[in-house]
Amino acid sequence: MKISRRTFVTGTVAAAAGVAAGFPHIYMKDFGQAWGAKPWIKKDGNIKVGMLWSQTGNLSVVENDSTQVSLFAVDILNGRGGIAGKEIEPVVVDAKSDIKVYSEKATQLILRDRCVSVHGSYTSASRRAVMPIFMKWDHLYYYPTCYEGRECMQNIINTGPLANQHSFDLVPYMVKNFGPKVYLVGSNYIWPKESNKNVKVWLERAGGEVVGEDYIPLGGSEFSPVFNKVRQQEPDWIMSTVVGDSDIALHRQFLQEGFKSDKMPIAALTTGEIETAAMGNEAGAGHFLSAPYFQTLPNPVNEKFVNDYLGSKYGGGGVTHYNMEETYLGILIWAKGVERALEHTGGDWEAITPRMIRDVSGNWNGQGPVGLSDEESPEGKVWIDPDNFNIWLKPKIGQCGSDGQFTIVKEADEHVFPDPFSIYPERGVCKADGLHKPDGTVQKDVL
Amino acid sequence: MRRVNLYHDKRAQWAVYVVFFGILAIIPLSMDDPFTMNQYSRYGVFAMLALSVSLVWGFGGILSLGQGIAFGMAAYGMGATMQMQYQDPVNDPIPSFMLTNELEVLPTIWEPFWHTHLGLILAIGIPVLFFVIFGILMFQARIAGAFVAIMTLAMLGAWYNMAYDMQPYTAGFNGISPPSAFVAFGVEVDPYSNLIYWVSLGVLCVLTLATKALLQTKFGTIVQAIRDDPERARFLGYNVAYYQIVLFALAGLIAALAGLVWVMITQFVSPTSLDIFFSITMVIWAAVGGRMSLFGAIFGAMFINAAQSYVGDEFQATWFIILGAVFIIVVRFAPKGLAGLFEYVFGFIPYRVRGTSGARGDAHSASE
Amino acid sequence: MSVHDFWTPFALEPFINALIIGLSLASIWLVAALGLTIIYGTMGVINMAHGEFIMLGAYSAWVMQFFIGIPWLLCLPLSFFIVGGFGWLVERGLIRHLYDRPLDTLLATWGVSLVLVQSVRLIFGGEPQYIDVPDELSTVMNLGFIHIPWMRIFIFFVSLGLVAMTLAILFKTNMGIQIRAVMQNKEMAASFGINSKRVYGLAFAFGAGLAGISGAMFSGLKTIFPDMGLGYVVEAFLVVVTGGGEVLGSLATAGIMGELFSVFSYFTNDTFGRFVLFVLIVIFLRFRPQGIFTPSMARR
Repeated sequence: MKISRRTFVTGTVAAAAGVAAGFPHIYMKDFGQAWGAKPWIKKDGNIKVGMLWSQTGNLSVVENDSTQVSLFAVDILNGRGGIAGKEIEPVVVDAKSDIKVYSEKATQLILRDRCVSVHGSYTSASRRAVMPIFMKWDHLYYYPTCYEGRECMQNIINTGPLANQHSFDLVPYMVKNFGPKVYLVGSNYIWPKESNKNVKVWLERAGGEVVGEDYIPLGGSEFSPVFNKVRQQEPDWIMSTVVGDSDIALHRQFLQEGFKSDKMPIAALTTGEIETAAMGNEAGAGHFLSAPYFQTLPNPVNEKFVNDYLGSKYGGGGVTHYNMEETYLGILIWAKGVERALEHTGGDWEAITPRMIRDVSGNWNGQGPVGLSDEESPEGKVWIDPDNFNIWLKPKIGQCGSDGQFTIVKEADEHVFPDPFSIYPERGVCKADGLHKPDGTVQKDVL
Repeated sequence: MRRVNLYHDKRAQWAVYVVFFGILAIIPLSMDDPFTMNQYSRYGVFAMLALSVSLVWGFGGILSLGQGIAFGMAAYGMGATMQMQYQDPVNDPIPSFMLTNELEVLPTIWEPFWHTHLGLILAIGIPVLFFVIFGILMFQARIAGAFVAIMTLAMLGAWYNMAYDMQPYTAGFNGISPPSAFVAFGVEVDPYSNLIYWVSLGVLCVLTLATKALLQTKFGTIVQAIRDDPERARFLGYNVAYYQIVLFALAGLIAALAGLVWVMITQFVSPTSLDIFFSITMVIWAAVGGRMSLFGAIFGAMFINAAQSYVGDEFQATWFIILGAVFIIVVRFAPKGLAGLFEYVFGFIPYRVRGTSGARGDAHSASE
Repeated sequence: MSVHDFWTPFALEPFINALIIGLSLASIWLVAALGLTIIYGTMGVINMAHGEFIMLGAYSAWVMQFFIGIPWLLCLPLSFFIVGGFGWLVERGLIRHLYDRPLDTLLATWGVSLVLVQSVRLIFGGEPQYIDVPDELSTVMNLGFIHIPWMRIFIFFVSLGLVAMTLAILFKTNMGIQIRAVMQNKEMAASFGINSKRVYGLAFAFGAGLAGISGAMFSGLKTIFPDMGLGYVVEAFLVVVTGGGEVLGSLATAGIMGELFSVFSYFTNDTFGRFVLFVLIVIFLRFRPQGIFTPSMARR
């Protein structure tokens, strides 16, 4: 053996470096241009739309329903002849409840499958994991879940309520009916904390006070230390931003600790029909939920939506739910955006870009922002805010009955403005082109 | 003339590495696909993690379930560095997520990340330093076997909780997503370019070859001797703890570099990088590929992840069952993984070497 | 985050309640760790699928109640036998072949846990489930300022009962003597005619059965879902390893850990309490890797 180990290693590394250095045009090539130039919707193809949810893993409990209702919505649209006669082709991927997979699959949907928009995800973590990808490719993401706001990105449309819309009605209602003292319990991450900041703002106006505040880890199921403090503070009601499995444990242990929902109810932002079914009706009964949608909303559009969905092959879950309805709205709003984009390009499918769909969803051509009328949306009229691309909606308060369904006890009189920076006015105002700061500068992609 | 297994021939091993990395290096020449480049770069990171597991477990006999600690720490360091590249010192000095937690000024521990070089040094230095300290703590006390596994697991859990809870500094569960790509020396490392692929593959290649070379030195031999019988090595006068600490720290260094590259590719870091499940998955990759072979571990990581990307969707719900079952079968019947299979097959190839060099090769790397 | 937000000021009554909650937590961790203690103590096997055995116990109780209508109290012993039987199969099919490779048992059982979680999710769906407990257990015992749900009192005493039963089996029965003999010296025990394979199989099944009964019991207090095992198994491991793989060691460790965690999370918060606990355990193991009671002996 003539070649020594050292020369061998040096040689290999040098060779690799040489290969890399010898072809600078390869690694410096700008892919973006070549890729951006291809059409997103082919003249003779379908309209591809990505569905980025988890069908396996712990998030699948919620996201399976999201997938099903999106496919249901696509079926409805295709049943009407698609968008301007062109069929919609959903591309469904499984994110496996893994942040790494969300990010990989988002890349796949944009770059390999060349979907014109993507709908998806249920958690802030997965949204934030995929957003850099959407910003990089100037693409478009529809996020259907309630979230904390404080973001101003140019590649997303949100169809779920913001923190300022949720507690707007709920807090005065609870203070008026049960009393001023409130105990805040939440899962330990940003959305509950941000929501509770809003709660405190409304509480101050309604003359209430916070007697305690606790956050437990996501997935945590031990609430006895919390209830120990609750018992000591004797609040009039509990404000819960606990999500997922923990939410069920919270309500079950509330019962076992001997509390009564008529004496000290829990007002929640996420405890809907699915959660109530999972915790048992006796654990859910008497508590309150603020949401834009309930399965029992008494209007013909909703009744048709519930019947059609539960009767379709997608409706195996047996309930409809605020998050599902927001997902459903997202697909309908997206379809309207594509219609407008087609009008904008004068019928040229190939000229439509993801970003164009977003731009025309705002205040375009004097037609006002994209929205859904009372005849289209199960929760009633909604529309996209032309500046910050969140959704205008009417929050409603429901009280859970002993059958696990909610009775609407209050509906907002007017639509509520979605304000992502409601408690940070000093940060600026979110407009279509970015965050307009008080000093006059505009910052794009505030994440 | 002596008959030996071609598998143990060092020249053949090096040849395999050269061919392997050579082929990987020319892949971008035939491709113009940002998705594939991005995806393959991710596989490169997973391969680095499997490499670190192979080094510490396959060659050092230390089953660390805490490689995610180094990975996650470096990922947070890199995330902070990239975030601060995006922030503006005058107009916008504080990352947006900190506002939720009522931070008026940038916390001191974030200050160094204004400087990219310092940020990179910290991102690598802190995890390695932590692994040295943690290694001293464990190996000085002669803790071994399952106890190391449990202690690394507990430590990983502690850091996971910490990243989760220190929301003013880490954004908690939501994670940090730097909005723009990493810029180093005036070059933007676009996560969808050939460049990112070269970076990922380059780091993997250098780490692998360096590890391979290291294992063929005296240090490598001693480490393997300790793996086989720590007591005997101690009686022979070797400072067992010293070798174990160095090995543990080196594995931490590899995992840290993986974390660094990972955030360059994904522009996102959250507590999931410190997830227990993730750290054990790295062990699966190495075990399936063959923990006693660096090449096997790398191949295992790439193979399983490619299968998850391309086969996973067809099998949907059964993917984890398949993964678990494969893992059980490998552990039960083929503890040396795929590489062991190759070793077995290669044993049938008639191959002879002259004189002492073959014999030396045999004695040196009986396990590879 | 100001200092005041972070620290809850001391007050006597809730502090005493926190101590009681600590006992309740300790009993939950203890009963989760008991089966693991047997398995680890007897065979040195780190059973990573233990959390999933607990999950199986919870699901078998749920299936028996939901589909067959068996009352919850009866589900507890039945879960013991169902999961115990399953554990016996796992031991026969897998663990038995790996006794000379302790690290590999850790990995193989982790593979088992992966398969179990996803299988259960496929069969029963991922939705969280709950179970109906007798009404008597759904109320609270009030003693002045002390309030304890009966459910937690029940779990506390059942876990002590299970510890007593385990000790009785280990020290009073023929089988227990054989188990302890194999624990101390496998070869020597074999030379006295003890069938160590059979002993191992039964010990593993017994440990799995204890996991099953604890799962069935937790199903009354908490939520049932496929990933639930992870919520117990990490603490269970720490209890077992810190306790040195002995029943009394686990008892003491669980008590100390439960109280420490409860007190820390009373003064700070849940997540931070957990962090402190983990770090304390790592430091403790640094100085006493053989566990809390075990006298210093040959290192494993």
